Amino acid sequence: MNPSYRLRRLLTESSALLILLVALLVVLFPYFWILLASLKPVDLVSRPDVWLFSPSAFNWEEVLLRSDVPRFMLNSLMVGVVTVAVALITGAPAAYSFSRFNTGGGLARFSILAAEMMPPAVLIVPLFLLMFRLALLDTPVATIAAHLTFVIPVVTWFLIGFFDEVPRELEEQAMVDGYTRFQAFYKVVLPTVRPGLAAAGIFGFVLSWNDMFYALILSGGRNKTLPVAIAGFWTFRGIEMGKMAVAILVAIVPVLLASFFVQKYLVKGLGGGAVKF
Amino acid sequence: MVTQRSRFPLAYRMLLPLAAVLLAVLVYPLVFSFWISLHDYQLTALQDVRFVGLRNYLELRGNGSFWNAMRNTLIFVFGAVTLETLLGFGLALLLHRPNRYRDFFRSILLTPMFITPIAVGLMFRFLLNQQLGVLPYLLGKLGVQIDFFGPGLALYSIILIDVWQWTPFMLLLLLAGLESLPAAPFEAARVDGASAWFTLRKVTLPLMKPVILVALIIRGLDAFKVFEYIFAITRGGPGESTESILYHIYKVGFRFFRLGEAAAMAYILILITMALVVVLYRAMRSAEELP
Repeated sequence: MNPSYRLRRLLTESSALLILLVALLVVLFPYFWILLASLKPVDLVSRPDVWLFSPSAFNWEEVLLRSDVPRFMLNSLMVGVVTVAVALITGAPAAYSFSRFNTGGGLARFSILAAEMMPPAVLIVPLFLLMFRLALLDTPVATIAAHLTFVIPVVTWFLIGFFDEVPRELEEQAMVDGYTRFQAFYKVVLPTVRPGLAAAGIFGFVLSWNDMFYALILSGGRNKTLPVAIAGFWTFRGIEMGKMAVAILVAIVPVLLASFFVQKYLVKGLGGGAVKF
Repeated sequence: MVTQRSRFPLAYRMLLPLAAVLLAVLVYPLVFSFWISLHDYQLTALQDVRFVGLRNYLELRGNGSFWNAMRNTLIFVFGAVTLETLLGFGLALLLHRPNRYRDFFRSILLTPMFITPIAVGLMFRFLLNQQLGVLPYLLGKLGVQIDFFGPGLALYSIILIDVWQWTPFMLLLLLAGLESLPAAPFEAARVDGASAWFTLRKVTLPLMKPVILVALIIRGLDAFKVFEYIFAITRGGPGESTESILYHIYKVGFRFFRLGEAAAMAYILILITMALVVVLYRAMRSAEELP
């Protein structure tokens, strides 16, 4: 290898690394700054020039021990778990049916995709009136119903891709062994797509956990979810900002941890058995 | 048993739970919403709901606020998605090269897309605030004075926030697309002594076209729903300069309680969405036929 070639190669490699490092900084700095704000004593939160200080646990204690944030977190958790449970129970058999029998053909798959993309503005008005009539406004039921409208299609779309990859011989063998088709699905196919179920479940949970639009309008009172509670820190009063930083971290840390588990399944899931990336 | 099965096959029985739930929470509200859009339906006057035919739709023609929100949303979607695609593709190309730290970079760079948008909105409101934000402070040291959320600039600042959160999504899809490309065309280009730029333009881009199209449409559809950043930062202001279509519908429906009008606007939105979903579905189908 001649020296000029090696020099050029070194230059491209290091500039590529440099760009990636800048991107890394852009992504990480907001997290860092919000973490810093959460640890600042109250009088320093509004001081962008202060980067070094003795950390204070005041904001964390206020939010975790003396506020309603933990309760709102439990609300979010409950809404997410119930939504995902319903989505998996209804979505898994449906996805299997789409994958194996091509039930409803292209139109059915198209409908699932269309439901996934449905703008929330369209459903919020009728859902609000429906919940109002049923006296379910400001209850978790209202939020769960709304979240089902997008979590079910996402989970179903996700699972089609995973079922497509299970060889048909698997359930054919199970049926030779005396299982019915449904038993073969339930006892043989379902366990083999366990990673797909987990990824779809976690992704669906993240979508429910992150929603603010539906939760704000359908249950913005006592039974609010965490994102709605965070939105309540809008006032920006000095004392509130440190607490806002804590509430933000409480909302995003669990999701960031979950993201490391689902990242590698995400592409297959989004493609829904259509796009083979 | 056999006759029962043939009358109602397993394929449909397995679909029943899904169909039942979606009928209740999705299809019924959709139909109900259309019915509402044909009425003078105000939350403050529920006893006095009157049928008005297409009036809610026809009145949208002269509704400046609605078209302003539509215009803002189109600028937002176009600006954000373009930037995200370019940046995402660039980063994907960089990460596609053999690199020891690849997985580390990728897993960190993807994190913003998992965060609740309201938290992202508040984070950046705090970071970019003119008095107490760290970015205006640092820029001030360099002699630059910017009010990120002032008149004229606020919409573009919100585009940048969206770029922070959603470039990772483009990176994810485009990197996966690059990794699944066949090796042979690239080897042929190398044997022929093609430059990196030529290979990118004549080999990579044409092969990536279906994946880019799918990623663009999914992201575009999602960007149309922008709400949280606006709710967290500007509440539509200054004036109506950052009102998105979703924020406008929220305001008309749940601040002014004019549900009939809100439902009509939402139905216009459905038409746009469905048109894009048709294109998306076709694009996904054709991406499938690729090697």
